[in-house]
Amino acid sequence: MFGRLFLVVATFALIHAAYSTYEHLSRLKALNRPEGTLPLNAVYESVFALILGILGAALNAPTLKDITWAGEMKKRTIDEMDTRLGFANYNTRARHLLYPNPKS
Amino acid sequence: MTTTAALEQLATYRAHNSRASQETFQKGLPLFQRNAYKKMGDDAWSFLEQLALASIDMGRYDIADQCLKVLEERFTGSPRVDCLHGILMEATESPEIALKYYNDLLEADSANAPIWKRQIAVLRHMGKIEKAVNELSQFLDTFYADVEGWLELADIYATCNRYENSLQALSHVIVLAPQNPFYLLQAAETAYTAGDVPLSIRMFLMVVDMSDGDDNEPLAESTPLGITVRAWYGVKLCSRRLIRDPEHASVSASQTDTPKNVALLDELATERLRIAYSSAGKKGDIAQGRDEVFAWVAAP
Repeated sequence: MFGRLFLVVATFALIHAAYSTYEHLSRLKALNRPEGTLPLNAVYESVFALILGILGAALNAPTLKDITWAGEMKKRTIDEMDTRLGFANYNTRARHLLYPNPKS
Repeated sequence: MTTTAALEQLATYRAHNSRASQETFQKGLPLFQRNAYKKMGDDAWSFLEQLALASIDMGRYDIADQCLKVLEERFTGSPRVDCLHGILMEATESPEIALKYYNDLLEADSANAPIWKRQIAVLRHMGKIEKAVNELSQFLDTFYADVEGWLELADIYATCNRYENSLQALSHVIVLAPQNPFYLLQAAETAYTAGDVPLSIRMFLMVVDMSDGDDNEPLAESTPLGITVRAWYGVKLCSRRLIRDPEHASVSASQTDTPKNVALLDELATERLRIAYSSAGKKGDIAQGRDEVFAWVAAP
């Protein structure tokens, strides 16, 4: 919940800094002084947005999965280790048990 | 069950190599009949192969035929499709006909691994065990890294009561898949049956090490679950043999030394088994049979 909050705040701060820079530069252009420096507040605001955004993304990440071999082996059962599908027997009784009276 | 859930379950079966033919058939048949597989992209072909094998296992050769036709149209002359043909032949016709089909294909291309495996399987299920073992040994000489093949060899030897040979085959399995505690457990039990008790107790303890092991919980408070319980049973059996009969039981064909503190291991195994069958709640779902287990571990 904090992660998402931080991300939203960081997005708004960044958009706000970008918009205020745009306004500042268009004002300078209107006054015919197009080489002014960026306002320092906008720089601070975008750096703040960056830090807050990193924090928010880190907190918002999903929980880490266990990708060790031991964790993977805990999820397996002994039956599926022994199937040997390449050598399996497909000549079973299923036909006679499930469909004992063929029509033909 | 929704389509996505069914597809996920089928994909899990493929990834884990499970042979759950009835569930696969029940979930896969509606997908096949509604032609939903055409929207699956590349997974559709493995799904069709899986459904074909499941229907052969369930006795529905008509569905298998239809799946095979779709696969043949897409992949003419592929060795995997030939293999499916052969499996259908094994189920519907006599094994000699299937064997002849496989032998013809192997004469054309002698390194065709899936067909060779089917030939070995047919030979074993016809009862021609020596020929099957010879062919399987040649196959494993060519394709050493095939874990399935070594497991099949171990199984054939175990059914003929040749447990030392079975243990040798399982040692190759362990070399090829060292992270798998299930194969180590099978090897430990085979070693015990072959009479090599010191080797077997060491392997059982290795299985405990590999499969137990929530690193956050100290050992004294954790409950053994899953194959750890089976491994502790093995430790208890071995330690009991070693205590009752130290001269004969500690003679090891592989010249393994007996562990020094066998009495302490016996006590530890007893305690672990009691805990495994005593915990209440979700973790202790195996508490049935508690009284029998307690009586057995307490007997000298």
